[in-house]
Amino acid sequence: MEYLDGLIVIVGLYVILAASFNLIIGYGGLVSIAHPVFFALGAYASAILARDLALPVPLAMLGGTAVALAASIALALPSLRVSGDYLLIASIGFQLGLLEVIKNLRFTGGSSGFINIPPFLIRDFGRASYVALVLAATAGVVFLVRWIARSDYGRAMSAMRDDELAFASIGRNAMWMKIAIFALGSGLAGLAGALYAHYFRFVTPEQFELLQSAAILTMVVVGGMRTTWGPVVGALLLEALPQALAFLNLPPSVLGPIQGLLFTGLVLVFMFFRPQGLVPAQDVWRGARAAKESR
Amino acid sequence: MLEATIILQILWTSLATASYYVLFAVAFALVLKVTRLFNFAQAAIMTIAFYTAFVAVQWLAWPAWAAFAAMLATTLAASYALERIGFEALRKRGVSVMFVFVFTFMVSEFVDYLAMLIFGTWPQTIFPTMFWPVTLVGNIAISAWDLPAMGATVGALALLFAFMRFSRVGQFMTGVADNPDLAELYGISKRRIFLVTMLIAGAFSALGMFLYGTRAQVLPQTGLSLMLFAVAATIIGGIGNVAGAAIAAVILGVIQNASILVISSEWQGFLLYVFLFLAIIFFPNGLRLPQRRRFVTAAREALVEQDAPAAEGKA
Repeated sequence: MEYLDGLIVIVGLYVILAASFNLIIGYGGLVSIAHPVFFALGAYASAILARDLALPVPLAMLGGTAVALAASIALALPSLRVSGDYLLIASIGFQLGLLEVIKNLRFTGGSSGFINIPPFLIRDFGRASYVALVLAATAGVVFLVRWIARSDYGRAMSAMRDDELAFASIGRNAMWMKIAIFALGSGLAGLAGALYAHYFRFVTPEQFELLQSAAILTMVVVGGMRTTWGPVVGALLLEALPQALAFLNLPPSVLGPIQGLLFTGLVLVFMFFRPQGLVPAQDVWRGARAAKESR
Repeated sequence: MLEATIILQILWTSLATASYYVLFAVAFALVLKVTRLFNFAQAAIMTIAFYTAFVAVQWLAWPAWAAFAAMLATTLAASYALERIGFEALRKRGVSVMFVFVFTFMVSEFVDYLAMLIFGTWPQTIFPTMFWPVTLVGNIAISAWDLPAMGATVGALALLFAFMRFSRVGQFMTGVADNPDLAELYGISKRRIFLVTMLIAGAFSALGMFLYGTRAQVLPQTGLSLMLFAVAATIIGGIGNVAGAAIAAVILGVIQNASILVISSEWQGFLLYVFLFLAIIFFPNGLRLPQRRRFVTAAREALVEQDAPAAEGKA
């Protein structure tokens, strides 16, 4: 039962990560691979606030979310000031660089990880209560992204993404819209991190490496970008696969690379043979010029 | 006196290690200049290059020249496949820049995981030892690796310069880089030029990895770190400026090596990410060289002055 609870929590958190990443890459058209590092920032910040600064866990979780949100603005502001292309380059450096920092700092626990994170709800109300909290947060994030995408702001987002020049010519500021989308998506990843930390109560830098970037990207690409249910389907499928692999009892030195090959291979296969993903939206990957020419 | 020796030693070592940094930066900058692609799959090419040489020397006991020939062959083949199967198909489909970014990055990651699965996650070198005999010149230690490595890089750069300057294909590369559609109107095949560019970048990556792998340990993820260094150098050098990327790579190499004087070694790797951020924040369009601009402007003004009396004479 504990295994099942843990599985539901993990799947729920990955749905949050995939849905929030869909907001950034799908609806916002912003390419970044640093989503796992915001997940890490949320987890570490919330854990440190609760354990070392003795803040109540709900406040620590909010703090973790805020730290991820603020860090994402610090990343997006200088890169987007130049061009959207630089965001990807900056995000690679941010992802690898910040993990390097976490590994070398004493108060984060270094490479061996951060332990004894205070639990939340589980001691007083049992594991089911935390599972319910995660499921509520998951549903909340999925419907928040859906609501944003279908609102006036969502239509403005798609106008900005499809033709930035035309969008700017009607007096709208594309850069601030991109920063807002990136910050919201990354803040939600931070929330997922905070929820992770107070359930599993142990975090290490290895959990947030490039493998996670590939995993989250795969969930969105395979599931279907710019759709509500695509990332949900992607996260469910791709969290089930590693669980199935775990039953093969492979050593971690083999299991890690196999998972990595599976995630990156699936992205490449889907990009070439089914770019719309399992739950299709239209013209997801096509360039604006190509889309115009086909009209 | 000791201080001066240490500084000279660091400078020498930095210049020697810059030999591979320059090759990686030139490969990345050249592809970006001609094809306008941020080719993150260069890390995959570099990984393939290293492990080919590793297998040739350590598993098959081939001599160094044969290992180098083998790594050149596999990187050229991988670059050919990447261009013909990957980039060409993507261009035909008119995909967005975002797609190409994700594609190249995923190719690099895929090759990384494949290398991890086959060769494990422990560090490897091309030859069983990476220690080279050292000669003292003055008080500066010069290893037997330094001069051949620097010579190979200078030779490769001279060849590239001569190729770009004097050969028809090289001149076509400049034409395609400036305006691909106009170049095609003049009968230059973009398709062929893109392929040649990818092959040259592949050869530079192979030579760079041969030099790196004979001097330092390599992990499957090393290619990505080395490529990020090349990305930072390309941005600082100014996008489209291959020589600028090469000079920036040398400067960044010197700073990284010299940093050992002020920061502890475990933070040295972190400097790479600092470079990347500083490049994006402060030099997104590259470092401007005011003296060079002044020289060009002065030369232009001199030409105008020369033309003016001639024009008056004609009138």
